[in-house]
Amino acid sequence: MLTTGPVVVMQMPEQLNSTAVRAFMQDMQPLLEIHRPRIVFDCSQVRYMDSAGVEMILHCLEEAMKRDGDLKLAALSPESEVVLELMRVARVFEAFATSDEAVRSFNAVPAEGVSQEATWYANVFGEMRAVKQAT
Amino acid sequence: MLSAIVIVGLETRREVESGVLSENTTSEFSIEATQLQQSTPLACVEVLGRSVVGRVIDEVRRADVNAISVFVDARIAPRHPGIEPSANITVSNSENPWGTATQQLAADVETGTVLVMRASAYVELDLVDFLQFHREQGKAVTRAFDHEGPLDIWILDRSAIADGEGLLTILQRSKPARYSVGGYVNRLEHPRDLRRLVVDGLTSRCRLRPQASEIRPGVWIDESAQVNPDARIVAPTYIGHGSRIEAQCLITRCSNVESNCQVDYGTVVEDSSILSNSYVGIGLDLSHSIVDGNNLLNLERNVTLEIADPCVIRPNRVARKERNRHSPVIFGFGGSQFRPAEEGPS
Repeated sequence: MLTTGPVVVMQMPEQLNSTAVRAFMQDMQPLLEIHRPRIVFDCSQVRYMDSAGVEMILHCLEEAMKRDGDLKLAALSPESEVVLELMRVARVFEAFATSDEAVRSFNAVPAEGVSQEATWYANVFGEMRAVKQAT
Repeated sequence: MLSAIVIVGLETRREVESGVLSENTTSEFSIEATQLQQSTPLACVEVLGRSVVGRVIDEVRRADVNAISVFVDARIAPRHPGIEPSANITVSNSENPWGTATQQLAADVETGTVLVMRASAYVELDLVDFLQFHREQGKAVTRAFDHEGPLDIWILDRSAIADGEGLLTILQRSKPARYSVGGYVNRLEHPRDLRRLVVDGLTSRCRLRPQASEIRPGVWIDESAQVNPDARIVAPTYIGHGSRIEAQCLITRCSNVESNCQVDYGTVVEDSSILSNSYVGIGLDLSHSIVDGNNLLNLERNVTLEIADPCVIRPNRVARKERNRHSPVIFGFGGSQFRPAEEGPS
């Protein structure tokens, strides 16, 4: 785990499947429980991702938003981007080419702007739940 | 007497040009080149209801050719190639289609002029004008060219055929007359070209027409396709034979859903092609892509994914009632060694 000031950069595992997700969430849980967590997932190592991985990322974002924080993605491979777009979750995240850019973007956003974004994200989650219920 | 030979092989144009390929060798390189559909040339893939090979044969048939012989590489999966034997069409499967064509040509002494086509590109060619040009030039071989270079279409006189020499060797060593093709040409060298052909067909930039009824301007839907009334189909679009579009789907921006496909509830298909016999799952956002069974090629990022989870995309062979609509959406990329996860996140 890399930490740069108040923004936490998490290196994602190479295989983001249900087994890896369980281990990863053990490290993540304390970080999600702090006030206004600011997290960057560095996906540069990710070579495989399944729905468990996508759901875990969404879960982390949801938890971060609940506490007026945010989660951003960095160094997504083209494959990861295609999968996130296919699953309609790409638009939910801010994504950056590098972790450094993602970290800098947190510093550029005024703190009071975060909670305004949360309303928008809540609508997206609401839509996603509606689709799941309908199917 | 005019006859035609159509070669449906796996070789690339580079192999034909360079002489690497001969009547006695088979191509290994091109199998990798057609990775979207393993061992299937793009010319055999259904496009707006009929494969390019099928359309080529239809065109040759209309040009009053006496006999059409189609030589298909035996390694090509029989996947709606649109090649059906009939009164003047013979179809032969062979591991070496060029060699088999040579043997037939040698045995057929009545042949005067032969039209030889390698089914690789989609070319809008006036065959009558091509023949007329060949006769006027007085050369034994005439080859079609476009502004990018040679095309794999030749006219060959009987006099060019020497004993013991293969058809491909004759074509490779000949110094042909050059016939310029002024019409539309799509070389179908990359799946991107397949997508371009669909867009050009749907927007009338070429003569390739969808094989279905135009139910409203720019929307072609086969009579046997089932489109849920709550689905939105935005022109130009093509929905092929036996395909199903479920409720809340959106099919838009020059997308085509070929035969026997299913696009499940709430999925958006934008600027994409779903090749025949493919299933696309619930609530997905498919854009700038080609889906073929469980393979997804994203043309915007030039990424090919093999999706392991059949709930996302898969070959459409499972009966509708057998699917579990409530199973978790599990997918993956990275290759066939990865299997679907068994459970969601903790």
